[in-house]
This record gives sequence, C-alpha cells and structure tokens, in this order.
Amino acid sequence: MGKIVEHKEDEVFDIELEESILKKNEDVAKENSQLFKTHNIQTIDIMGSIGSGKTSLIEAMVKRLKEKYSIAVLNGDLTTTIDSDRVAKHGVDVVQINTGKECHLDANLVSKALGDMDLDQLDLILIENVGNLICPGEFRLGAEQRLVVISVTEGPYMVLKHPFIFMEANVVVINKLDLAEAMNVEFEKLKADVMGINPKAEVIGTSCKNDKGIIYVIGALQLV
Amino acid sequence: MHELSMASNLIDIAVHEAKKRNATSVIEVNLVIGKFSMLGSEQLRYCYNLLIKDTTLESSKLKIEYEDGKIHCIKCKYEGPIQLKKEPEFHIIFPTLVCPTCGNPGEIISGRNCYIKSMRVKT
Repeated sequence: MGKIVEHKEDEVFDIELEESILKKNEDVAKENSQLFKTHNIQTIDIMGSIGSGKTSLIEAMVKRLKEKYSIAVLNGDLTTTIDSDRVAKHGVDVVQINTGKECHLDANLVSKALGDMDLDQLDLILIENVGNLICPGEFRLGAEQRLVVISVTEGPYMVLKHPFIFMEANVVVINKLDLAEAMNVEFEKLKADVMGINPKAEVIGTSCKNDKGIIYVIGALQLV
Repeated sequence: MHELSMASNLIDIAVHEAKKRNATSVIEVNLVIGKFSMLGSEQLRYCYNLLIKDTTLESSKLKIEYEDGKIHCIKCKYEGPIQLKKEPEFHIIFPTLVCPTCGNPGEIISGRNCYIKSMRVKT
C-alpha cells in the first residue's frame, strides 16, 4: 500500500500577500484620472487647513477663469453646503460632497460625484478637500495637480508640524498675507519650510480677501 | 486620523483572503508601513484590536514592520534614505525630498505604501 497523506486538523500555513491597504483608493483614483484625460479636463485637488481660505481661493480663481474655462467645483465638507453655496453664486456648476464623519475626500466619493456631471461640457474641475492637513494627503483623488493652502493666522509652525502633505503638493499657497504683520509670521520663513520638504513646489503668497496673488496661483497651475 | 478606515480595509482584505484559503482562523497578520505614509502604527493597532472582534481575525496578532523612506535624485542619481534633521524637536522621521548629496529635488521610490506582506492562518 502506498503512502497516505491525510489532511491534518489545525494545519498552520503562511500566505504571501503583498496587498496594499491603500490599493482600493489608488485603483479608483487611476480610473478618475483616466476619465479626466478622456474628457480632456484639467483637475486640481485643493487641500489645506481649516479656515485657511480654500473656498476664498476657489472663489477668486473662478472669478478670473470662468470666461476661459467651463468650470465645475466639488466641495468636500462634513455636513454643510455653506461652501458650495458661496461658489455657486459665481455661476459655475457645484457639487457638494458631504463626507458625514470622514476627515478627507477619497477617490470613491469623487467618482460618485462625477457620475452626476456632464463631463463633456467641462474643461476644469476644482476639488475642495475637507479642511485637514493630514489625511487628504494620503488619499489621491485622481486629480492632475495638488495644491495645499495654509494661512499666516495659523502661526509660524504650520508647515513643520504637518510635513507630509507638502510632499504631495506641486503648488503651496500661503494666504492672508494682509495679516502677516499682526500675526508676526513671516511669509519667507514659511516658504523656506516648504522648500526644505519639497523643493519642487511653487510657493505663492496671497490675500484672497483683497484678490492679491491670485494671478500667480493661476500661473503656477498653468491655467493662463 | 484615518487609521480607523485603514484598519477596516486591512481587516477586510485579511478576512477575504482567509476565506479564500479555507482558513478557520488567522494567527498573525504581517503589515509593512512605509515611513513616508501618513499612518500612525499605534493608532492603527488600537483600531485593529477593536475591529477584529467576531471575525476570523479575533485572536490574531498584528505584527508591524517599517519600510524606510527612500528617494531618487534626478540630477546626481543618488538613491537611498533621506537626511534626518538634527534639531531635537524632530524626534520622528522628518520627510524631505531634498537630495542629501546635491540638494536638488528627489522623488520618493519607497516608503509611501502600507501593505499586508503575509498572513499566518489555521485551517
């Protein structure tokens, strides 16, 4: 009689996996990116701290760009439509994405929002991420460019305390420069902090309230 | 801050894999976290232990390894780890894309990811 191999109870074995826990998001982000390319749409993921002026920057950009581009704005927020209402006043398409409790937008939420839009009619999509300098950096949305907004009212250490997100950005906006002196915060110091982390990033100072610096942001994003 | 959703992803993948291999329980999950990722291992472990209840991972251990952050310099072709800042306030890895040899911008080649390397399961 030949050798019998029996199945043993409680057999322990190892499974090699190499599966990324971020893969699901990366896959959907790639699909979004492909969709943008197919429809020839430029996209910018606008991240930044709470109250730094993400919506103000978007309003200022929309005012200058709406004649040239057919624009849609996706506003990410936990609960309200305050931001999208502000942007809608400028006469562009807005879609509010309420994350409920999540601290960042992800590629899936953006993909869902895109489902409701007529992409053939658009050539620029601005995506306002949830105000947060940590999590949005980890979740790519499929946008071509990533911009981070901070402001001088958040103090002099905003960049050093949240370094990772600045590695992801190609443009960094430092807003509320009109208040820099009162806050005793130097633009040049914040800029040097960003350059120390990501020397390829373009750093631009703005005062969105006074419409200052916006043309340089538009230039850095190559939207002129 | 997003460790809860990441832990939940991680557990979904492990549960699915265990089921596919007809495992009755998972003994350990070996996870690799890149030092350039934005995940905190302590928070991730905490969420993991909360979420494995009533799953095949219930009595499993989460083992974490770290992958070094490495950059590639386009200009001088340097490939390797980044320089760490010497100031005492930077007591954890401080990321920078500045090439430590020539000062030009580099690109991340490893350390951005977080993945399950392997699992030990019981049938």
